[in-house]
Amino acid sequence: MLLRIDPTSAEPLFAQLAAQVRTSVARGDLTPGTRLPAARDLAAALDINLHTVLRAYQELRDEGLIELRRGRGAVVSEHAALDYAPLRAALTEVVRASRSLGLAPETTTALLKDALSEETTR
Amino acid sequence: MTTTTPTVPHRLASTLVALVVPLVLTAATVVVALSWRDDLPDPVATHWGPDGPDGSGSLVAFVWSSALAAVLLAAGGWALAFFAGRAATTRRLGTGFSLGFAGFLSTLVLGTLALQRGVADWTAAPPVDGVVLLTLLAGLVLGALGAALTPGDAPHPTSTPVPVDAARLPLAPDERAGWVQHIRSRGVLVVAGVVLVPVLLVAVLVRTPAVVVPAVLVLALLVASMASFTVSVDARGLSVRSGLGWPRQHVPLDEVVRAEVVPVRPFPEFGGWGYRVGRGGRVGIVLRTGEGLLVERTGGRSLVVTVDDAATAAALLNTLADRARVA
Repeated sequence: MLLRIDPTSAEPLFAQLAAQVRTSVARGDLTPGTRLPAARDLAAALDINLHTVLRAYQELRDEGLIELRRGRGAVVSEHAALDYAPLRAALTEVVRASRSLGLAPETTTALLKDALSEETTR
Repeated sequence: MTTTTPTVPHRLASTLVALVVPLVLTAATVVVALSWRDDLPDPVATHWGPDGPDGSGSLVAFVWSSALAAVLLAAGGWALAFFAGRAATTRRLGTGFSLGFAGFLSTLVLGTLALQRGVADWTAAPPVDGVVLLTLLAGLVLGALGAALTPGDAPHPTSTPVPVDAARLPLAPDERAGWVQHIRSRGVLVVAGVVLVPVLLVAVLVRTPAVVVPAVLVLALLVASMASFTVSVDARGLSVRSGLGWPRQHVPLDEVVRAEVVPVRPFPEFGGWGYRVGRGGRVGIVLRTGEGLLVERTGGRSLVVTVDDAATAAALLNTLADRARVA
């Protein structure tokens, strides 16, 4: 799989990596059982510290998105893809609604962020 | 697309290792074997079964037919290295093949004849297990030696830009990108198991394990080395590495002429599956039929890897090669 990092971005490198895996799983590009690159290979490919990759993988494991198995590396877990279909459908709906209202993408994401933070503070 | 094809490098070395040395070795074998004529039974034993010698032939026919086989095989390996050996892998396959078979056949002839010196009749020839093991070993060692003596590829950077029509990937100036993919062939392992396990069982049943077991183990190791690879494209270039560490291929960014996606048919193009040399001396790591990544490399070399998502790999490789040209 393709992974990219931007060292000049304010977002920590491990978070950039984890976010890409999350997006790929949510989009269905990464299906359950798919093996992620070995942490050592990925660290070498992106010329970053091994612990940065491991931290990203550990975070994804804590979220239940991947499983870390000795000898097999990081594998997208079975239940990772289960709940995304309704979310994807809802997002399509959000996109359609915001387009028909002629909203700028920034406005829509701001609304979405607002809704999400309300959810967590509640 | 590509301009004039560059000439094949290291032709002198290829000729020495793949043609001159095997011919000298074979000639020496013929001379030595024929000089033993007076000590050998007539006819000599030329074939052994589980219960001892079971086939015989004239000394002259045995020696010369083996020599002819060695010469023909050497000529084939030499032709591959001489005419198609633009990549080190291709040259080494040719030279290793030539020298390996010359060593194998020489050891076979001299080994089986040495056993029979002073023996009155061919049916009394001693068992050949030791000799067979020795011939396999000689073939492997000389084959590896031939490959090792063959010069590798010198760095061959280019400053010619990657063609504009080659696929690219949007990448911000500060962004780093890496693409890693695992490829694995269950088929290779299954076929190997289906073939090798029965051979091993039969060998044990007919009580010739000393000969067959090492040969099967070498084959099994070879198959295992070609069953899984990690393919990566990043700032260091393209690398394809076996799960066992060898074989491996590396193409630095400054040697990438262009990368693209191609359909691959292993059997017609490479004569089989695994780590192969195919038509025109193209190097292939081909584990299945279907899409593959083709990298045209400087010096008229090219490399094919059957891998999923090859389009992303090709686009990234072209994009990173652009960067390497500018830098």
